[in-house]
Amino acid sequence: MLWVDKYRPKALDKVIVHQDVAQNLKKLVTEQDCPHLLFYGPSGSGKKTLIMALLRQMFGASVEKVKVENKNWKVDAGSRTLDLELTTLSSTHHVELNPSDAGFQDRYIVQEIIKEMAKNRPIDTKGKKGFKVLVLNEVDKLSREAQHSLRRTMEKYSASCRLILCCNSSSKVTEAVRSRCLNVRINAPKEEEIVEVLEFIGKKEGLQLPFGFAARIAEKSNRSLRRAILSFETCRVQQYPFTNNQLIPAMDWEAYLLEIASDIMKEQSPKRLFQVRGKVYELLSNCIPPEIILKRLLYELLKKLDAELKHEVCHWAAYYEHRMRLGQKAIFHIEAFVAKFMSIYKGFLISTFG
Amino acid sequence: MSADIRKWFMKRNDNKGNDNASKDKPEKPSPQEKSGRGGQESSGRRKCSPYFDKQKTKDEKEIEEPKSESKTPVRKKVQKVDDDEDDDFEMPSSKRKGLVEVTPNKRSKSGVGRGVAKKAIDLDESDEDDVKGKVTKSTPKSAGRGRGGRGASAAAPGGGRGRGGGGGRGGFMNFGERKDPPHKGEKDVPEGAPNCLANLTFVISGTLDSLEREEAEDLIKRHGGRITGSVSKKTNYLLCDEDIGGRKSSKAKELGTGFLTEDGLFDMIRASNRSQATAQTETKKSMEKTVVSTPKSSHQELAISKEQARNSPVKNPINKGRGQGASPAKKKSQSTEHPSLSWTEKYKPKVPTDIIGNQSLVKQLHEWLVQWNDQFLNTGHKGKGKKPISTGAKKAVLLSGTPGIGKTTSAKLVSQMLGYVTVEVNASDSRGKADGKIEKGIGGSTANSIKELVSNEALSVKMDRPKLQKTVLIMDEVDGMSAGDRGGVADLIASIKISKIPIVCICNDRYSQKLKSLVNHCLLLNYRKPTKQQMAKRLLHIATSEGLQVNEIALEELAERVNGDMRMALNQLQYMSLSKSVIKYDDIRQRLLSSSKDEDISPFTAVDKLFGFNAGKLRIDERVNLSMSDPDLVPLLIQENYVNYKPSSAGRDDDGLKRMSLIARAAESIADGDIINVQIRRYRQWQLSQSSSLSSCIIPAALLHGQREILEQGERNFNRFGGWLGKNSTMGKNYRLLDDLHVHLLASRESNLGRTTLRLDYLTLLLKNLTDPLRVLPKDEAVEKVVEFMDSYSISQEDFDAIVEISKFQGHPNPLEGILPAVKAALTKAYNKGGKSRVIRTADLITLPGLKKAPKKRVMAMLEPADDGLEGKADEMAENEEGNSSDEELDDKADGSKAVQLDLQNLSSKGIQVQMDLKGAEKTSGKKTGAGRGKRGASEVVEKGGGRGSGSTAKRKR
Repeated sequence: MLWVDKYRPKALDKVIVHQDVAQNLKKLVTEQDCPHLLFYGPSGSGKKTLIMALLRQMFGASVEKVKVENKNWKVDAGSRTLDLELTTLSSTHHVELNPSDAGFQDRYIVQEIIKEMAKNRPIDTKGKKGFKVLVLNEVDKLSREAQHSLRRTMEKYSASCRLILCCNSSSKVTEAVRSRCLNVRINAPKEEEIVEVLEFIGKKEGLQLPFGFAARIAEKSNRSLRRAILSFETCRVQQYPFTNNQLIPAMDWEAYLLEIASDIMKEQSPKRLFQVRGKVYELLSNCIPPEIILKRLLYELLKKLDAELKHEVCHWAAYYEHRMRLGQKAIFHIEAFVAKFMSIYKGFLISTFG
Repeated sequence: MSADIRKWFMKRNDNKGNDNASKDKPEKPSPQEKSGRGGQESSGRRKCSPYFDKQKTKDEKEIEEPKSESKTPVRKKVQKVDDDEDDDFEMPSSKRKGLVEVTPNKRSKSGVGRGVAKKAIDLDESDEDDVKGKVTKSTPKSAGRGRGGRGASAAAPGGGRGRGGGGGRGGFMNFGERKDPPHKGEKDVPEGAPNCLANLTFVISGTLDSLEREEAEDLIKRHGGRITGSVSKKTNYLLCDEDIGGRKSSKAKELGTGFLTEDGLFDMIRASNRSQATAQTETKKSMEKTVVSTPKSSHQELAISKEQARNSPVKNPINKGRGQGASPAKKKSQSTEHPSLSWTEKYKPKVPTDIIGNQSLVKQLHEWLVQWNDQFLNTGHKGKGKKPISTGAKKAVLLSGTPGIGKTTSAKLVSQMLGYVTVEVNASDSRGKADGKIEKGIGGSTANSIKELVSNEALSVKMDRPKLQKTVLIMDEVDGMSAGDRGGVADLIASIKISKIPIVCICNDRYSQKLKSLVNHCLLLNYRKPTKQQMAKRLLHIATSEGLQVNEIALEELAERVNGDMRMALNQLQYMSLSKSVIKYDDIRQRLLSSSKDEDISPFTAVDKLFGFNAGKLRIDERVNLSMSDPDLVPLLIQENYVNYKPSSAGRDDDGLKRMSLIARAAESIADGDIINVQIRRYRQWQLSQSSSLSSCIIPAALLHGQREILEQGERNFNRFGGWLGKNSTMGKNYRLLDDLHVHLLASRESNLGRTTLRLDYLTLLLKNLTDPLRVLPKDEAVEKVVEFMDSYSISQEDFDAIVEISKFQGHPNPLEGILPAVKAALTKAYNKGGKSRVIRTADLITLPGLKKAPKKRVMAMLEPADDGLEGKADEMAENEEGNSSDEELDDKADGSKAVQLDLQNLSSKGIQVQMDLKGAEKTSGKKTGAGRGKRGASEVVEKGGGRGSGSTAKRKR
């Protein structure tokens, strides 16, 4: 089993990072009725872990007995019936689902399916809790319409159902939904905290950690604990015992993006743009989300860019990222950004060096 | 640019004027100018000149002496022009008369820009003396001058357009990468006499100094030259500015073809103008002689024909009697009498050999028809039965091909030639299935025309001698037998079977679904389009007989533009002949550019046109039409190809900066188009569709239209098909794979992660854990380790492949590289072996009995491996079972689960058995799983496991 799963804390008491949040949550569910919750924070900060630990605190170990279902729903949408397919993860006490998977039809998921689930009271009345919990992931990716439908559901069925929402950015969740929830911000762990976790794992696994090795992994992990643990294990698979200057391997797609960035910096020509398009296609078809591609690409470009261009390039990246979310074919927007960058950078190079 | 041209022409004009003034009598310039105008106008006036005709004949019948028969159309014009002059100068002094007469002759001829063929006719006239020869030679040149003098202002825009022209299919002409001309657009392109390059064949090679390839082609074509793709013996010049040493130049050297630079070409064209100036004075002198020496007889004939033209049609038969050999003049007069007869009817081929192209097919048709009686009628009729029908012989024939290439005509002609009476049944007749049996024939209540014919003929064959009354049935437009002709094709086939007359079916599309059954009963003859040379030859013949002046190059262009449709070409030609008597290359180009929009255009053509280097000349509505020709595909093609174009609007752009910024703008506009498209599709804002096509097609094309270049080695210089569709479906497929993997990981209950996280963070490590041991460790140890890892995360063999697939990056080594095939095979084997102990992990795609389609319900059931000892895990299993059953609405309560548990225990050994069976059955296992579902509890669970092992996975491999 991977370390990242093996050493995931199962109970609120056992968490290493965000101990204060964990304690507060524990008090919240033990002392009084639990409100709707909205967890937000960057990926790899421990939201999911906290949610699972919280559920365990609420219902006991039985929440870990989950089953995965891929259900089909027939939804009446005015004149036609829609077929929706959705994977849910459920125990007797909670249902976890990812409504944004349905794409632009997520509205129907919220309107019909979530409402349906929220309406029904749990069968198991022997337990002390008279409600069940719906965990909705990636709420920030829900369309506006879906979020609007969500807020009514939250109010109406709060007697029998609690919602736990989880997302990366609270700014993409509407005000109305946010105000109905208790917002819990989960920060990205500090590097020292990551080092602490890594050393904890190292001790448990009985590994010899060279000095500063954990710190290097933490630094490379971009303050994502998950990333840090995964790359820690990757290093372990690659080479053990660790050496002091061991290379910490990047993710495959990150390496590829780095290649693209250096391609762009080396040459700005239609030919290069065409090649970059091919490579971006490659990333997209390997299931890398376009937003991440654009963000990461900008990040790599900025590292190599002259200071005076940084501002402008950032502006255009934001501009095209916004438009990408409005549009549908991500490649067009990424390509537009690359073309814009090439044009700016080429102009800059010519004006500077002639 | 245009101003320069004008200036240049003005200068030349002045020179000419001066020359004339100094060398000739003072009064000459004025008639000349006058006549020049006359020549110009004559095109417009020629047709409507009964008045002139009358006057002319009155005035000049006795005095004038026409040169020759073949010259007569020209002659006529001369006379008209003469009339103009006669109004001004009333005194007929013989000397002056002659002079005046000649000048306009030359004028009008030249103004008309008579083509190659005309010259050939001239040369045929053996009785002409040298002087005459000279005159004819010099005339085309003076033509340009006449035009140039007056039409300076007209010439400039014409030139501009011409320069831009020819790019419509420019993209298809060039292979390989070609640099920009070094002095692009820096030279003045000369305007010469229209036919100064006539009879010359050029081949262009390499990069020219200032012209793009298309521009050069256009320039040459406009001046009557011919362009071919490769050097041959007929090639006069190889046009190139640098000796790139390619195949063309080596071949040219071998054949001794002349090399010509771009400047040389310009000089040639300019020289044609200059030579006119000198030739002019020369011809003036010579013409006086010419007039004197022209033969008398032909002139009189002209007079006769004129008379006929004027007179009532009673005299026509005389004319007709002269048949095909009649002079153009006579045809001309005929045509004026029958203005209603369209050219397509008038110049229909009269004998089979007249048909253009497809001669072998015509011959085949002929043979088939000749043998028909022997093969079918006689044997059947006489009942001998000893002459079996040869296996290949078919009783009917099916001619297919695009419209206007002479299918119907050839069918008719061939039958006529063999003495058959043709009966044509086309879409205008009712051709539905007749009531009752065919044999009832005419007696049936709704007997159709076909049946009547077929059965009637049977009678007539009996009664008459077959030789006298042979009939052939031509079924035209059989693919048009549609709703109104219910059962038409079936009936036709039945008719063919019993028919006693040959049947010729004609259709456009042989592969049409409707004709599928018919095809088996027919001899198939597929007509091909005639080549443009063949068409041009015929067109030229017709044009000459109609007195229309066109050069061959222009006609070839016409033939090309109509896409092999002879009928359409003739119609176009006739239409153009109404407004002008001289048709030049440019006229045809312009005319067909505007008419070509009526055709169906493919997305590729549309993109070619939008990006063509003269796309800037397109009107906005034309562009909208082009981009709307396929509003889904055209934007994708544009997006795929826009980086390949060198924008002509960038002008000089050494560092490519302008091009890059134009590309950035275009890319942004394309992205705009995507946003608008979302509004259209998702929120049904269809009123935005024009904006969408504007931003996704028109703006990028407007910014970047120009020459296409290739970006990759070995790429063909055509527009690529849009890559988005393919990539998008790959992406969809990979997302599905990832989804399955995700579900399996969740089912393993070791992890609770999102799909994105799985891809971004986990996948690298998963891959490493799965492949690294195989590479490093000894075989058995590695396999054991990997299988263990796969089991812990319930990663199946398919998931393994999916992980590898998703982690592949182009240009990076395959993740499986370095793993020996033996190790891979061992892994598969070990995994499959382990599959037995892995009783249930996940089960998906369960087929419910009674339902045909799998409801795609995927149930993941978790259970520890059965051989781990059931005792310890009993409670877990119970729970698991519970979840399972509640999920399937079986609702076994907790008490039931105990029994089930026992069942399972018993079955744990059996389960393996079942699984093995399923594996053997491979494909049917899906069904078996479904059947197994009917049973309750544990056995069901076990079978599901088995199903998952082989059947369902096979199903999921799409």
